[in-house]
Amino acid sequence: MSELTLIIIRIGFLALLWLFIFIVLYSLRSDLFGPRLTPLQRVAVQNQRSREQAATTAPAAAAAADAPTTVTERAAPAAASAPGAATRVVITSGPRAGLELDLPATGLTIGRSSGAGLQIKDDYTSNNHAKVVRWRDQWMVQDLGSTNGTYVDGKRISEATPVQVGSAVRIGTTTFELRR
Amino acid sequence: MTDRTAPSALQTGIVQLRDVTEAIRVRIRNPAKLRNLELFLLVIAWVIAGGAMVLVQLGALQRVDLFPLQLAAGLGILTLALHIALRIVAREADAIILPVATVLNGLGIAMIYRIDIAEGVTGWDAASMRQITWTGIALVVAIAAIVVVRNHRVLARYRFLAMAIAIILLVLPLVPGIGRTINGATVWIGIGSIVSLQPGELAKIALAIFFAGYLMTARDSLSVVGRKVLGIRFPRLRDLGPILIVWGMCMLVLVFQRDLGTSMLYFGLFLVMIYVATGRRSWMFIGVGLVALGGIAAYFVLGYVQRRIDAWIHAFDQSVYEAQGGSFQIVQGVFGMAHGGLLGTGLGLGRPDITPYANSDYIIPSLGEELGLAGIFAILGLYLILVSRGVRVGFQGPDDFTKLLAVGLAFAIGLQVFIVVGGVTRLIPLTGLTTPFLAAGGSSLLANWLIVALLLRLSDSVRGRGIA
Repeated sequence: MSELTLIIIRIGFLALLWLFIFIVLYSLRSDLFGPRLTPLQRVAVQNQRSREQAATTAPAAAAAADAPTTVTERAAPAAASAPGAATRVVITSGPRAGLELDLPATGLTIGRSSGAGLQIKDDYTSNNHAKVVRWRDQWMVQDLGSTNGTYVDGKRISEATPVQVGSAVRIGTTTFELRR
Repeated sequence: MTDRTAPSALQTGIVQLRDVTEAIRVRIRNPAKLRNLELFLLVIAWVIAGGAMVLVQLGALQRVDLFPLQLAAGLGILTLALHIALRIVAREADAIILPVATVLNGLGIAMIYRIDIAEGVTGWDAASMRQITWTGIALVVAIAAIVVVRNHRVLARYRFLAMAIAIILLVLPLVPGIGRTINGATVWIGIGSIVSLQPGELAKIALAIFFAGYLMTARDSLSVVGRKVLGIRFPRLRDLGPILIVWGMCMLVLVFQRDLGTSMLYFGLFLVMIYVATGRRSWMFIGVGLVALGGIAAYFVLGYVQRRIDAWIHAFDQSVYEAQGGSFQIVQGVFGMAHGGLLGTGLGLGRPDITPYANSDYIIPSLGEELGLAGIFAILGLYLILVSRGVRVGFQGPDDFTKLLAVGLAFAIGLQVFIVVGGVTRLIPLTGLTTPFLAAGGSSLLANWLIVALLLRLSDSVRGRGIA
């Protein structure tokens, strides 16, 4: 066998070894960069983003306006959703999308631990991540010191935050809303 | 669910039937994506392992000899059997671990075979024949382990049995009659002159199980903090008992078995697991302090430790190089790797057999000579992937025992690679540990394939919890 073919085979073997490593790394990409979205999920995320943008600009405008108008604007959705009227939780995106469960009057804990009322198993969810509690006829979401945070209408919350019916609460890759 | 009355036998029967049909439906709906990826990677692994064998033959013999290739193909069939076993009993197990281990094992066999050719040994005298046989045994044991151990949490119950097994395995080489002293280290056992085993390799699995089970229950008291010294919160004095016992055990290994590597491995394993369990950095400082203390004491008391350190620091000193038990091996290994350069001499074309123990302790420099820096980095990359998969299982683990066991097993492989590669590249003093999957040695293969089986089982239980 000629010198040249031997060199080519030799380098080819090293290339094959590295190819194997890169194929492994490529197949691990979801571990490195998070799960890939299907086209349908991507549309859902985009819709949600635009809704989140609308939601974030609306309160800002409301805050800028005078107090009385704010009250009327705030009163309208509150009246429509008749305080504390939500009875169900619907998961709109994430690994358990489509799941519906009843919202117990005592509230709902969310997290990765098996003791949680709503168990979400992904790497972005803490064991005891957040809870939904009823406070003064209002459903509130409270973050329980999670690592990756809880988002209500796209904003990370630092204290108990009221949740309206239909507004998106995001934990890790899971989004859910309260429904009547 | 709340007001359920006692169900009749018929109702339970129907419920069970429904569960079974549902399970079948889920199986049909979710084609085993992970397993298909594993099969794909496994095929590439076979090509790499077989290619290495052929290249060795082309380089060293200038012809292709079919017999060793047929034996290697037999091992390929066994890895396929392990893959099929996973399809049946651990469908959600990690898809990367098995192919990576296969590549490493295959490269090891090819290199051992290459040294056999250079030394002109054939038949059962050849280390490669024994390595192939042991790989076969190890794969069968791994398949059996994955089929038998369906729920690894059961292992937590046997933690004290695991401790007893570990201690027995550690003491066995010191028992007169079956203990064997090879090259100064009393870590082998043998019956007659036929079988020689290194029970310490298997002891590390038993120790990992014991540490995980023990730390699962003791983590709370061990994470209680005591006094603050120099800005670091140290644990209470009375909680230092366990770490001192493990340290003492490792020192006994160092003194009586004269094996630096094994004692470093055990202590490092305990240190990492206690750190993972408690999340307190102070344990690391205490551990490193104890290692320094033991190391200094051993340097002044034990002659062989002193020789090891001299051979490490003054490797190129002429008198050390020529001394009995000096740095000849280290220097030959370093020369070999330098000769290999960036791309290596090519498999079968170098002179790795000049270095003593080129197929066991020194298999990394042998591979470094013939595959070059590019090949060594690929091998280290494979180890990195293997260890990171294990740590990932630990990260996702649903309970403390799973987390600790996965991290412990993965770290045992990682630390062993560090001790060996660090030793041959003169980063740390050279110690006689085996390179996982690569080096010639049956007990090491058996232990490492068992670790693979356990990690696969753990990863299946992590993903297979049915939720998200």
